[in-house]
Amino acid sequence: MDWSTLLVQATVNGMVVGLLYLLMAVGFTLVFGVMRIVNFAHGEFYMLGAFAAYFITAKAGLPFLATLAVTFIGAVVLGILLEVLVLKPFRQDELNGMITTIGLAMIVQNLALMVFGPDPLSMPAIVRGVTRMGGVVIPTSRLYVVGFALAVLVLLYVFLKHSRPGRALRAVVEDFEIASIQGIRSRIYYPLGFGLGVGLAAVAGSLMAPLFSVSPFVGAAPLLKAFIVVILGGLGSIPGAAVAGMALGLVESYSSLFLNTSTADMLIFVLVIVMLVVRPRGILGQGEA
Amino acid sequence: MQSTTLDTRAAQGSRNNLIAMALVAMLAIAPWFAGEFVQHLAVLTCLNVVAVTGLALISRSGQLSLGHAAFMAIGAYCAALAGNLAGLSFIPALLLGFAFSTRPTFYALALAVAILSTWGLYRLFRQPLGQAIDSVAVNPALAEATGLSVHRIQICCFVAGCAIAAVAGILQSRYIGYISPESFNTSISVGLIIMLVIGGRNSSWGPLVGAIVLTPLPELFRGAVQTQHIFYGAALILILRFMPGGLADLPRRLFTRDQR
Repeated sequence: MDWSTLLVQATVNGMVVGLLYLLMAVGFTLVFGVMRIVNFAHGEFYMLGAFAAYFITAKAGLPFLATLAVTFIGAVVLGILLEVLVLKPFRQDELNGMITTIGLAMIVQNLALMVFGPDPLSMPAIVRGVTRMGGVVIPTSRLYVVGFALAVLVLLYVFLKHSRPGRALRAVVEDFEIASIQGIRSRIYYPLGFGLGVGLAAVAGSLMAPLFSVSPFVGAAPLLKAFIVVILGGLGSIPGAAVAGMALGLVESYSSLFLNTSTADMLIFVLVIVMLVVRPRGILGQGEA
Repeated sequence: MQSTTLDTRAAQGSRNNLIAMALVAMLAIAPWFAGEFVQHLAVLTCLNVVAVTGLALISRSGQLSLGHAAFMAIGAYCAALAGNLAGLSFIPALLLGFAFSTRPTFYALALAVAILSTWGLYRLFRQPLGQAIDSVAVNPALAEATGLSVHRIQICCFVAGCAIAAVAGILQSRYIGYISPESFNTSISVGLIIMLVIGGRNSSWGPLVGAIVLTPLPELFRGAVQTQHIFYGAALILILRFMPGGLADLPRRLFTRDQR
């Protein structure tokens, strides 16, 4: 295999992973934008989404698209419930809200551990076979995953740009007080923002379940990556998260060609620290405290 | 009339303080008369008190560190490398000329450091500097406007808090005799945050109470680690929700309720 094929292959793999990071980071940044808290339970919703996909598709035999819809709606409802029941008292107190999400993450992860057991489960691919494009070989299931992820992102974009609740949500992200003055009922958009954010995390989990294994511990890595992407792209900035997510996926994929994993991870963290020192608001951040 | 109620309240307050002191003193002395296992737990508790005190200093200046264990690791690795490469033995042993090689003597050292750090925190927050730190946490903009350098105070607190964590790391590397990157991972950092929050973030006694309550607790749940973590998570949320002052605040709350 020659170098150009290898590079193209790495690009494709990087883009698949980048899409995963993107979905995670967009939800993460949405929650941060609305609630001003860092949601440490975000990775656990990814994990729940992965388990949902495993049980609904692989066990109950529903089509994958239906699985995605069920997972998304379930996660949004769960997120709204959690926001109203648990996080509501901490709306004015971001630091305590953040620590509360750590508590939530511990509860969810260990409940999953008790219910599903610690062993990783592997989910069968949604479709068999490979697609060849020139010299590049791509498993067709990955193409499906990419297609679904892009569809989710387009839907999200249309929702945020062109629907009334989406525009209101963006207004709340931009400036909570002024949005309230304009008559946007923030009481609705706190739970909605949190629900949508964790819903996206769950969708990311369902999409990636056929590609990676499913276990109660799978949430930690995507959470960390979402964190990195959001810092690189700028907290609260959705386009920034898009650019940084794809970039991180590609950088990881290329660096894995040349370096070993821990060196690559370390380099990425060095990049994050340099970014925080040199340009704290991120690539496309608005620079708001 | 009012002065007498104030007097009785103050007297009752100091009596409560005395009771608390006596309780802590008894708890501190008991391990010397107990078995090896209790002593081991007592040493670990003291180390946690030190580390959480460092975290409390960071937290009270309005910051949160999710990498506190990393600074323990720096302390531990420096101590171990200094011992192995430079031939520098354990620093307190050099200073005091005593080896601290047995468990009871090491407990004495750990206890001394724990008391010193708690006392230091208590003293600090009774001084103008401590009040400045609190004001930075409560309202950074107002603190800046009154002439305090928020940036400088936060950096000082972070550095001092991390240095205290490093001290805990040094003691731990000496006591356990084994270190690896895995002994200082994120879950250790999160554990320290839990101790701080359950103990009480805004009280000087919070780190002490949190470490004393939570360090031995896993021993009660040995058979069911998962239930223990669920319990921790729930306790974290419930305490944040209903008792933002933490366990250290409990006597005062009970006391004021009696007054009503």
